[in-house]
Amino acid sequence: MPPGRVFIFLILFVVSVVIMYPFYFMAVTSMRSQSQYELGKGFSFASWIQLFQSVPVAKEMLNSLIVCACAIVIILVLATSAGFALAKAHFRGHGFVLLGIVGGMMIPVQSIIIPEYVNFVGLHLINNYFGAILVYVAVGTPFATFLMTTYFRGVPEELIDAGRCDGLGYGGVFTRIALPIAKPALATVVVLQFIPIWNDLLVGLLFLQEPNVRTFTVGLGVLASSRVVSIPGLMAGSLLSTIPAAVIYIIFQRYLVSGLTLGASK
Amino acid sequence: MSVKPGVDLPETSQESVAGKAPSFNRDRSRTGILLVLPAAAVVSVFLLVPIGEAIYYSMTNWNGLSAQWEGPSTYVTMFKDPLFWRVLENNAVLLLAVPVTLMCGVTLAALLNEHVWGWRIFRAAIIVPTAVSWVVLGVVGIQAFAQNGMLNSMLGSLGLHFLEHNWLGSPLSALTAVAITFVYSLVGVNTLIFVTGMATIDPSVYEAARLDGATWWQSFTKLTVPLLKRYFVFTFVITAISAFSALFSLIFTMTSGGPNYGTTTIEFFIYQQAFGTGAFGTGALLGIVLLVILSSVSLMQLRLMSRSE
Repeated sequence: MPPGRVFIFLILFVVSVVIMYPFYFMAVTSMRSQSQYELGKGFSFASWIQLFQSVPVAKEMLNSLIVCACAIVIILVLATSAGFALAKAHFRGHGFVLLGIVGGMMIPVQSIIIPEYVNFVGLHLINNYFGAILVYVAVGTPFATFLMTTYFRGVPEELIDAGRCDGLGYGGVFTRIALPIAKPALATVVVLQFIPIWNDLLVGLLFLQEPNVRTFTVGLGVLASSRVVSIPGLMAGSLLSTIPAAVIYIIFQRYLVSGLTLGASK
Repeated sequence: MSVKPGVDLPETSQESVAGKAPSFNRDRSRTGILLVLPAAAVVSVFLLVPIGEAIYYSMTNWNGLSAQWEGPSTYVTMFKDPLFWRVLENNAVLLLAVPVTLMCGVTLAALLNEHVWGWRIFRAAIIVPTAVSWVVLGVVGIQAFAQNGMLNSMLGSLGLHFLEHNWLGSPLSALTAVAITFVYSLVGVNTLIFVTGMATIDPSVYEAARLDGATWWQSFTKLTVPLLKRYFVFTFVITAISAFSALFSLIFTMTSGGPNYGTTTIEFFIYQQAFGTGAFGTGALLGIVLLVILSSVSLMQLRLMSRSE
């Protein structure tokens, strides 16, 4: 390799090591007991055992999974149907609806969370999976709809005409033709929604307060602020919460890129 | 998009599409309305209505149970409060981290774009923090910035002992710690977007520049940067929006807004006012201020993007 390329390799190597260091720190620290951590050497599973004893890990993971899966499925249904309608099945006033939904993309969750919280207290939707799911769906749907609209706009009109020639109505064109070719866009929506919902603290903290409905991320946040678990135990929990997001992320990496760059290229 | 009468149609038992146009149009608009209805309803009821409520309640002394109308004077009172400006100042300081993130991102992307041995592994390593929750970053951040933490030991081993201190102990250094963690988390996304952008540039452009005797640095500044203008605007906007609205979990776990409001940004201030002190009206008001700021950033993006056509 010429010296310039060796130099680039070295810079990238050093940057990667610095970026990965916190993960190494989490892994090594979680494999020590509190006293071993203070000593700076040793190896034990004590902190992992402590974590599983003081936190209902399985229950919280299940809660996270239920909330994420339901929210994402609902977002997918709403966004694909609305996206198809706004791109292909035009009706009077569709431009206005599109504007409203795209406008919704600008609304940060912090701006609506206070009225939403008070409304949901009245509707008994606090400490109920469905309450948190509704908030995630409301905040996630505008961008997902925008993404699906953009995707369906790229579907050639000829394909839809062909479906109609085969005697399909617009509903049939949507389910038989548009949906099957939208799989990559659906994957993009899944990955772009999964990471923020899995990692969310604010909505979970307010809408899922009780331990039996709490998600893993909220559990970790509460654990960190309550200081009942040792630092190695906290590192074990941190590592555990990172795994699902990292796995989804690695599997869907390709779709993450296409979703993220949509705004730059269109 | 109306039915195209000129399309060649295969022989089917159906009449020609053109002949069926009126009923197809009716079917199209009916199906369209049916399909858009659920999403429009959810967005209206759970996003637009709460915004309306927030605007109304921002002008009251709402405590979550009862609210008395006070009028737009609540905004004047807020804009006269030094604490409000203190919080916005923290946001302004955090915004300084945005260009840093962009610069790191574009530099790393340019280096990755050289496709040196193992670049795919490096790309994966650089992007991994994107998947990590801010809660985890906050928990690890406390360890990193503590008196005996990672940063101090790194500084110590570089011989920079005079820089060592408890980073989370004083307002400005705690805010710096939040900003560093912010850069760490967002550098990956920035890099990923710039890598994608660079892949769209025709390699022959670089080849021509090289034949003209341009150095690597010259082709980077004179070719790559101008060609990626849209990507710069886009990453700037998403990074700036994150700086305003994605750091709640980090601040909650790492600093709780302290010391002495040193790391309280407007989004954390909203939470504190409403759920810490019960001032729901003030929280709603701050939420509207945040919405106005973020909408301005988004509109700026649209203007810049349409100009760079």
